[in-house]
Amino acid sequence: MPSRTITIPARLDQIKLLGKLVEQEAKVAGFDARTTYACQLAIGEACENIIIHGYRGESEGLITLTISVQPGEMMLELCDNAPPFNPARKPTLRELDVDNPPVGGLGLIIIHKVMDTVRYERTDTQNCLHLSKRITPSPQHRHAH
Amino acid sequence: MNINIKEYKRANMVTVMGRIDSATAGDFEKALIELAERGRNNIALDMSDVEFISSAGLRVLVTIRKTVQSAGGDLVIAEPSERVTDTLEIAGLDVLFTTFDDRESAIGAF
Repeated sequence: MPSRTITIPARLDQIKLLGKLVEQEAKVAGFDARTTYACQLAIGEACENIIIHGYRGESEGLITLTISVQPGEMMLELCDNAPPFNPARKPTLRELDVDNPPVGGLGLIIIHKVMDTVRYERTDTQNCLHLSKRITPSPQHRHAH
Repeated sequence: MNINIKEYKRANMVTVMGRIDSATAGDFEKALIELAERGRNNIALDMSDVEFISSAGLRVLVTIRKTVQSAGGDLVIAEPSERVTDTLEIAGLDVLFTTFDDRESAIGAF
């Protein structure tokens, strides 16, 4: 499966560069605008977590995104050298309290809601987050086959 | 991200454009807090040209909503872009905000 890789410094204003690569590769995978945005959102949230909670703020650390695509499917691998940080534990969803809505943990909720799989792996020196998104063919497409 | 603020008699229209994420949410929050501190607690947010909003932007919306509501005001959204609508729905926060299809209706609600 063909893949593309980009590495950015752990700075908040660099995250949008990863979003641009996601957009380009989502076109190759045949994703619609809404699915593409969902993937950009998940990568943005994961990167904000890496910078804020992993590296404990903007730093000279690096974040590397590798995207592999095939028609209808995109796999994203996000790796960093921060201390161990696992965002793959599914957050507990509570009923919304409209008077005291949550302001924390929204990033993890978004990642788990929009991606099909969220898997974390720790190597000797790296955190790697594996995300995937698959689209089902449209009814018209299915009838054509 | 760019912010324009227009003052009306009973409310302020805040037009925010571009990308609201951790890199820009601080400036967004500062602009809204300054309004609340001046007693301008009725805020309509034109979000028609927001191209991206992360959880950092959502946190600002939730926090400022609470601030202005506790002072007797409200924060409503005018013309949310599809991406704003999607993000609010994904985070399960869409029920918190009254939204209007156009700016005039949003300002007229106050």
